[in-house]
Order: sequence, then structure tokens, then C-alpha cells
Amino acid sequence: MNTEPSLLSRRDWMSSALGLLAAAAAPSLAFAQTRARIVVVGGGVGGATTAKYLKLFDPSLDVTLIERAPVYLRPYGSSEVLNGHISMRDLEVRYDTLRDRYGVRVVIDTVTALDATAREVRTASGQRFGYDRLVVSPGIELMYDAYDGYSEAVARSRVPCAWIPGEQTALLARQLQGMRPGGTFVLAAPPNPYRCPPGPYERAALMTEWFQRHNPTAKVIIVDPKDSFVTDETMMLGWNRLYRFNLPEDYEKKIAAKVEVLRHASPGMLSWVRGKEGGRTLRIDARRMTIEIEGGVIRADVINVIAPMRAGRLAATMNLADSSGFCPVERRTFASTRVPHVHVIGDASIADAMPKSGFSANTQAKVVARAIVEELAGRPAPEPLWENTCYALAGSDYGLFVADVFKIVDGKIARINGASRYLPLDASPAQIRLCARYQQAWLRTFTQDCFA
Amino acid sequence: MRTPSVAIPPSAAGYRRALAWVLTAALGAAGAVGLTVQERALAQARVQATAQATPQAQTNAGTPAGPAAGSAGTAPPSPALNPNPVPASVMAHTCAACHGTNGQLGDEAFKPLAGMPVQQFVRTMIDFREGRRPATLMGHVAKGFTDADLQAMGEFFAAVAPLVDGTATHKATP
Repeated sequence: MNTEPSLLSRRDWMSSALGLLAAAAAPSLAFAQTRARIVVVGGGVGGATTAKYLKLFDPSLDVTLIERAPVYLRPYGSSEVLNGHISMRDLEVRYDTLRDRYGVRVVIDTVTALDATAREVRTASGQRFGYDRLVVSPGIELMYDAYDGYSEAVARSRVPCAWIPGEQTALLARQLQGMRPGGTFVLAAPPNPYRCPPGPYERAALMTEWFQRHNPTAKVIIVDPKDSFVTDETMMLGWNRLYRFNLPEDYEKKIAAKVEVLRHASPGMLSWVRGKEGGRTLRIDARRMTIEIEGGVIRADVINVIAPMRAGRLAATMNLADSSGFCPVERRTFASTRVPHVHVIGDASIADAMPKSGFSANTQAKVVARAIVEELAGRPAPEPLWENTCYALAGSDYGLFVADVFKIVDGKIARINGASRYLPLDASPAQIRLCARYQQAWLRTFTQDCFA
Repeated sequence: MRTPSVAIPPSAAGYRRALAWVLTAALGAAGAVGLTVQERALAQARVQATAQATPQAQTNAGTPAGPAAGSAGTAPPSPALNPNPVPASVMAHTCAACHGTNGQLGDEAFKPLAGMPVQQFVRTMIDFREGRRPATLMGHVAKGFTDADLQAMGEFFAAVAPLVDGTATHKATP
């Protein structure tokens, strides 16, 4: 593989005046075997979307996608494996279309090192890939060791995390569906920031719905270091209607001002222990199957610890993350502020008001792909705009969402689409059901936009 | 499930929103002049890029994924916060996660946008934005765009061929 800096990359070093001249010469250079080389590391939502849209925007680019697993398991919607709505196989996504239809070179290998000076990445199999621009979409790393008694080994064997789908997802599904009658399921929600803000609560809701049918004396306890979460009002209103969940008083007061909230004399199986009520996780005892939170010790039959998160390991390997554990970027282009010619997108990046979601990664990928194409052509990256929609379920037929549009405001990424971002509390039953239908449709259309 | 029986009382937030609307509409109309020229957008983008070089040094670390962010009583955001025009394609590609790459969609629950007449797109989005058309989330999304934005996006989608056989064959787009 050619590791010499290409003519295009050399152009970057020139002054802006010379840059113009080089831009004028670029078309002829393109034919002289100097196609700009873009390497994308990480074949999740962010990486796959970047590779696809780079080729859509400029088919002449040499785009290589490096991903360690030949088959991607989509994390979005993966809690639906737990209640048996789908199988593990339904999570599988392949890279064939990116390769065959768009001409992306897909390399299944593990990136082990970045040489920012030589502008090349190295892989476990000993390959080297030189680049003019590198896009890194490493996703998240789960910090299993954040709690006493918890570790990756414990997560694999007895107390799964299952926030990145895989064998732990299958294990958790078996545990939940095989839980003894009247057993207790504890879900430990993570501290901010984390991937998929409504996700832990959707998971608890879907299992509550499943238990109501298959294990009606079961208990579901969410323990949480936080006092609120994205979509909390609409999600808990759903629980109130579906699972005889009594809202915390402050929430009940707020919501009852807008819509009827039910007060259940005999509350249902689901409860939420907030941070202010001692919900923060301290310790896991996998042998005794107990979880210690600030408020006390809970004996459980199934425990799902959604561990705290930081940027995927690759971010640290490549020196892209700061002390927060995430990767600072220049907002307009998601260019790393730490390593030149490298962009970081998705959950690993620090994107201000944008949540860590697949939808965010998808729109960040398109902004980065556009910025790279423009800059390689000697033009400035255009004014960006991003969106995020997180659909979530409070039950199979009870959908809700958060919907945002973002632009750069005063140097930071900020929401620009008005005060409201959630399903209205007074949404009609038809709208609520429609949201659930849209959530299911979105799982398909989103996967297509990223991978096909 | 019961139909909610309590009507939403007019709140302070409602008035603030209304005020933001007036602002947005005014600025949107003013900004419409000449917004379609991409060179102008890019020139502005260049200015903006330079202006941003300084605050970049500030770390944006520790930003929470945002529980309750936005539920606090801060002033409602609007496109007026950053009236810099965004190229039509950059805006249009944010629709693709639901409405298909380039707005091309087969047999799904969402509306295909490819080939939609410009006026249909613009009128529908304005109706969503102004609350005249019932929606789940499109009302929220539409509030992120000015009339000029919607016109530019409408032109983008009108120029894309709709799917006829239900299978996407995405072509390179500008």
C-alpha cells in the first residue's frame, strides 16, 4: 500500500492562495492515479453511513471501511430480542450492499494502531492503510469495572449488560424468559452520558409488558443514578396507563396539569428508584445475586447492569479521547481537535446537545462525508445541520419519541426546532399507536439508509 | 387506555412559543431573498468557519446526553438562532433515516419524498410547522426550517426520480 502523502494531501499544506491553484489542477490529478483515499474505521451506523454517502457524493473516491466483525448486530431495537418479538438473527446486518452497489472496499480486520504522521492505520493482520482523511466511528466501550463486583467476566456469565448486542443479549433473554414465577428483575440504568437515552426505560417497559402476560407476579425494578431521563414524562405516562405504575409525586403534579394521570390503589410490578431515592448502583454480588444501591441491597433473580460508557477503545488507542473519555471535535466537520486529518463521529464524539443515538451518528456521518468531499475539492465545508429522532416504546403498541433539529449556535451544536421535542402528553390513542408502527418501520428504513 | 379529558391550559410557554414563531417567520421571510444561491451560502459558511476558530479551544466535555435538557424553561430555540443558510442537500439528507436515501422509499409507512412536487412539499411542511396538519413528530421537525429552507429542500426532492419498482437504485447526487 502506498504510504507516500498523495498530491491531494500535500495540497492541504499549502497556503490558501496556492490551494486555489491546486484546486484548479485537481481534476487532472484525479486521473493521474491520485484518487483521494478515505479510510473509515468502525462499521456501525456512523462508519457505514459515512462510507455510503462518500461514494454517493463522489464515486471517484477510494473509500475503505475497516470493521472487525463480518456481520453487524444492530443495537437499536435489540431489546426486542429480550421479549421474543424478534430473534438474534433479526439483528444481523451485512456489508454486501456497501461493497457491491457503492464500491466501498470492506476490510474485515481489527485496527491496532494509528500513525498520524505517516497518515496510516495498521491492523491485527499486519495490513497498513494510508489515508488522506480518516473517519473513526468507534462507538462505545462499556466500563464494566465501574462497580464493585462487576466485570466483563461477570457480565458474560451471570449478570449481563447487553448494551452492545451479542451473546450477552441472548443470555439476558434466556434469563428473563426463564425467570421463576414471582421473581425480581433489576435493571441498573447508566449515568449520563450514554448511548440511546430512552433505551434502558424502553427495555424495562417491554419486559414489564412481557411479564404481565407470562409471569404476572414478577417485579421489575429500575435503579437509576439520575433523577430524570429523555422522554421521561411520556414514557412514565405510558407506564401509568399500561402497567398500573404510580408516578413520582413531582412528575404526577407536572403531568396532571396537562392530562389525566391515574392513581392506582394496587400498583403494578414496575418501579423506578431515582438517584435522589438512593438509586445509584454501588456493588454487584453475582454469587448471591444481589445489587447494592445507595438506598440498600436488593436481592434479584435477574440483574441487567447497563454499565457506564465512554468512547470505544479505539478512541483511546488513537489518542482521540480527552479526560472525559469522549472525543472533542470541531463542530462544523467533526474533525478531531487532537489529531489532524481525522474525524470522529457517533457516540464517541462530544456533540453538545446531540444525544448519543444511531440517528445522530447517521446525520453526523453525512455532514462529515460532505465536509470531506468539499475540502478535498478545495472548497470550505458547508454550514451543517443535523437531526435526531429516537423512537421508543412504552409497550408494543405504545410509541413515543424525541425529535430534534440542530445547527451550530455560538460555536456549539444546539437544538433549533422549538421548545417541544416529545410526543404531546395529550396525544390521542391513535397517535400513540401510530408512533409504535413508525418505530417498527424506522428500524427498517434506518438500516437501509445506513447500510443499503 | 383513556382519552385525556383535561384540556391543556394556555401557559406561559405557549405565549413564548408564539412569540418565537413571529420571530422565526419574520427572519425566515427576510432571509428568503437570495438564499437559493449556493455560492452565497458557502461564502457565509467561510466567514462562519473563521469566526468559530476561537471558541473551539473551549472543551465541550461532559455534556450529558441530556436528560431533561430542553425541559427546563429556557427560551425556545428556533432557526433564527443561526440564520446561516444550509445547502439544500445537507438539509435533505437528514430526512433519509425515515424517508429513504434521497427521499426514495418503497413499501414503507413513511411518505416517499422523491419526485414530490415542490409546492406539495413546502405546503405540507409549513402546515406541519404551523400545527395545521396533525402529526406525530413532523410538527417538531418542521419547526427547524424556514420557508426558504423548505423551498430549497422541496426543489431537491422534486428533482429526484421516485421509485417505481419498489427497489432503491441510488445514484450519485450533488
